Amino acid sequence: MVMIVGVIVLIAVNIILLSVSNRRYLSYYGPGRIAISLVAPFQEAVSSSIRFVRDIWGHYFFLVKAAQENDNFKKALSHAVEINNLHKELKLSNVRLRSLLNFRKTIIDKVIAAEVISKDPSPWFKTIMIDKGKDDSVKKGVAVVMPEGIVGQVTEVSTHYSKVLLIIDQNSAVDGLVQRNRARGIIKGGSADRCLFKYVLRKNDVAVGDTVVSSGLDGVFPKGLPVGHVSGVIKPNSGIFQEVSVTPYVDFEKLEEVLVVLNHKKHKF
Amino acid sequence: MTYCFHVGICLCLVLFQTTVMPYFHLFDRFYDLLAPFVIYLSLFQSLRQSIPVILFFGFLMDSLSGGPFGLYLTTYIWLFIGVKWIITFLHVGDSFLLPFIVAAGVLLQNCIFIGTIAISEPGTQSLSAAISMVTVQVLWAIFTGPIFLMVFNYSHGKWNKWLEKVFAKVNS
Repeated sequence: MVMIVGVIVLIAVNIILLSVSNRRYLSYYGPGRIAISLVAPFQEAVSSSIRFVRDIWGHYFFLVKAAQENDNFKKALSHAVEINNLHKELKLSNVRLRSLLNFRKTIIDKVIAAEVISKDPSPWFKTIMIDKGKDDSVKKGVAVVMPEGIVGQVTEVSTHYSKVLLIIDQNSAVDGLVQRNRARGIIKGGSADRCLFKYVLRKNDVAVGDTVVSSGLDGVFPKGLPVGHVSGVIKPNSGIFQEVSVTPYVDFEKLEEVLVVLNHKKHKF
Repeated sequence: MTYCFHVGICLCLVLFQTTVMPYFHLFDRFYDLLAPFVIYLSLFQSLRQSIPVILFFGFLMDSLSGGPFGLYLTTYIWLFIGVKWIITFLHVGDSFLLPFIVAAGVLLQNCIFIGTIAISEPGTQSLSAAISMVTVQVLWAIFTGPIFLMVFNYSHGKWNKWLEKVFAKVNS
């Protein structure tokens, strides 16, 4: 009887401690920083070794395949040059229109490139470790992006390494907009590498294929960065919100390099 | 010296799990490799030798993971207590039981994870995705778990023999 009571008390204390630890994320000076500093150099060494071996394999043993790929790339490049010229024209016209509308000049944020050195040990949580830390001016809370879209947010920083919470983690939240009609909501991590676009009003017309971008209102992510496309919409018969699922543009399985936004200017409300 | 062996093995497992395994999509839903190690400690090692290793690596995994701090520590401690309790009435020498002990351990760990996610972020995980993830992990554990246990036990035996030889040479 005493043992059963003891076990129940232990479980209760355990749940309370976990709830408290979940609500109050440990500070950047916390003990987690020491552990990251201990393990991350080994993780970096192993990742570098794997990449080195893979590069040798790719460069020397697959030359035939590389030649074929080269031909394909040349074709793709000529196509890309055409598109690039078109984009240059669009950019120039955009600059003219902006000045006409007296828009404020866009401030380009300072970014730093970082390499992914490891992934979360558990499939239930989605974080990565990058090889840039406090010494590279990375701070807790800064945004991590890719040319394809938003990656996540730095949650822990040590001297040379940082932990990044991906947008597909259930603890992540990004303020977002549907690009087409500016319908607003919160992009939260869901299951199977997808996101949920929550709190989108039922009256808003959201369709599969719509692009979702960051609104910039969370003060973390720059405005207008692509997040993903709408992959499913369920409009319940009752309630004020609709259920929208979003497939991110970033392929988190193949993430190797990322960009950390260092001096994003937060909006003043 | 036993601590050195345990720390070395655990470090290799952590590095393998976080840096090598993500390159292979086959292991996308593999279970936590430290779970069979904790089971090995509770089956074959003393309390004094196990507890410091469990606490250290629980803390380490909590630092590397995106989950709430203390989650891995919690799962390892409960796993250790659970297996210690099971072996009071089950014969551990019977290798037929090993797959089921590892599978039960992995199941317990996943239950704690799901419970924590359900409390902290209700409604984010779909039930079917969670069931599929747990099923795959348990199946992996049934087929590969006993191999890990045997490798740990064999390596520890070899390590002890090597140490005896080294000490014998030093003394002579």
